[in-house]
Parts: sequence; C-alpha cells; structure tokens
Amino acid sequence: MKKIKWTLMILAVALSIGGALATRLHQDCQGATQYYSNGGVYVLAGRLGIDYICNTPSSAVCTYYKVGTTYMPCMWGNYCTSNCKVGNPAPKKAKN
Amino acid sequence: MSKRQVTLEAIAALLILLFLYAGVSKFLEFDRFIGEMNNQPFPNSWTPFLVWTIPSFEIIIPLALMFERTRLPALIASFILMTLFTMYTGSVLLHFFAYVPCSCGGVIRKLSWPQHMVFNLFFVALSVLGIVLQRRKFYPSIFITKKNLV
Repeated sequence: MKKIKWTLMILAVALSIGGALATRLHQDCQGATQYYSNGGVYVLAGRLGIDYICNTPSSAVCTYYKVGTTYMPCMWGNYCTSNCKVGNPAPKKAKN
Repeated sequence: MSKRQVTLEAIAALLILLFLYAGVSKFLEFDRFIGEMNNQPFPNSWTPFLVWTIPSFEIIIPLALMFERTRLPALIASFILMTLFTMYTGSVLLHFFAYVPCSCGGVIRKLSWPQHMVFNLFFVALSVLGIVLQRRKFYPSIFITKKNLV
C-alpha cells in the first residue's frame, strides 16, 4: 500500500517539476531587453506591468528579445500600453 | 488498499501535480510573475507580499499532502486556495474588474477565463471529495453507514 502511495507521490512531484521546467518560456529571455513589433520594426517595450502588459490568453507574440541580430519571441499575449478595455488590460502606471 | 484509499491517493497526487507545477512555474519565471501581479486589480503595494505567499503556499500544500498527519489540513488549505481562485475567476467573468489580467503559472495561463472556471471548479470538487474521504477515514463514527445502523 505504501509502495503504491509513494510511487504516485513521486510521479506527481517529478511530473510537476519536470513539466514546469519543460514549459518554462525561453530561459531567462525576460531578463533581456524586451522589444515589440510595430509593423515589422522592433521598438523597446519598456517595463512589464508598468509600461505595458501582455494580455493573455493569446497566441500572438507580445515581446521579443534580441539574440545577436535576430529578434526571438519571448512573451505571448497582446501587447497593450493604454486605453485597453476588458479582455485587453491596461498596465498600471508607476506609483510615486 | 481499499477503493477509498486509492481515490484519496489519486486526489492527493492530482492536487500535488497542480499546485507544485503552478508554484514551481511561478518561481522559475519570477520576474514575469511580479510584472503580472502588478497588473492585478489590487494595489501595487500588495505585490511583494503576494508574489511570495501565493507560490509558497502552492509548494507547502503539496508537501503537506504527502504525509498522512498533515493531509487533512492540506486538503482544507487547497480547498480554500482553489475557492479563492474560483471566486477571482468568477469576478473576472462577471466583469467586476476594469481589466482582465492573468498571472497563472506555466501553461495554465493559456486557458481562457471560462476554461479557468471549469478547471478551478474541478479542483475545488476534488478538494471537497478529498476532505470528505479523509475525515471519514479518521472519524468513521460520525458518518452513518449501513453497518452503523445494524
């Protein structure tokens, strides 16, 4: 009985940690400078949660990061800065 | 191993899978999580508290679910946490907030809000079933069964 219990527990722990690592977005891409695509031109995105937000769920690429000379997708969602309605959230402005 | 025990173990395993996955995902993408928490319809001053407490609970609950002595409090905690998430999802669906943010861990963030609702309700129901089965295991006398009546 204990064997079955611990097999189940270990399986659950391994699957959850393994799953979290596997589904992690591009490693550390969020530590890099973020850009968004504005008609094919890559523009600095600003600070997540302050200057912009990525409204999920969406399959659109929200921000990119630069690898050499290439822009790679980093975050998913709709890039939104202001005047966003329900389902399309607006970022909060920094409070000071 | 009785049927009830197998069901209990399966419920515990599913809850472990959910909470540990969500908690670890949040810690792995901590910067993103902070950014997303800043987008919640709460004051930004709550963010430092929430970004540590939510994933911490999501890791403590699975640990407690593994051991018999702490399983009942863990099931109750998971019920409370899932109920809070469900209430939040309900408020979003009822348009109580001016905007609809999501700061879920890993692939869970890809669910739409109605899908989130179904997902959360499923885990609330699992927690309730787990609490009932676990209590019945330790306090069988308070449950009236055919055996008790005879």
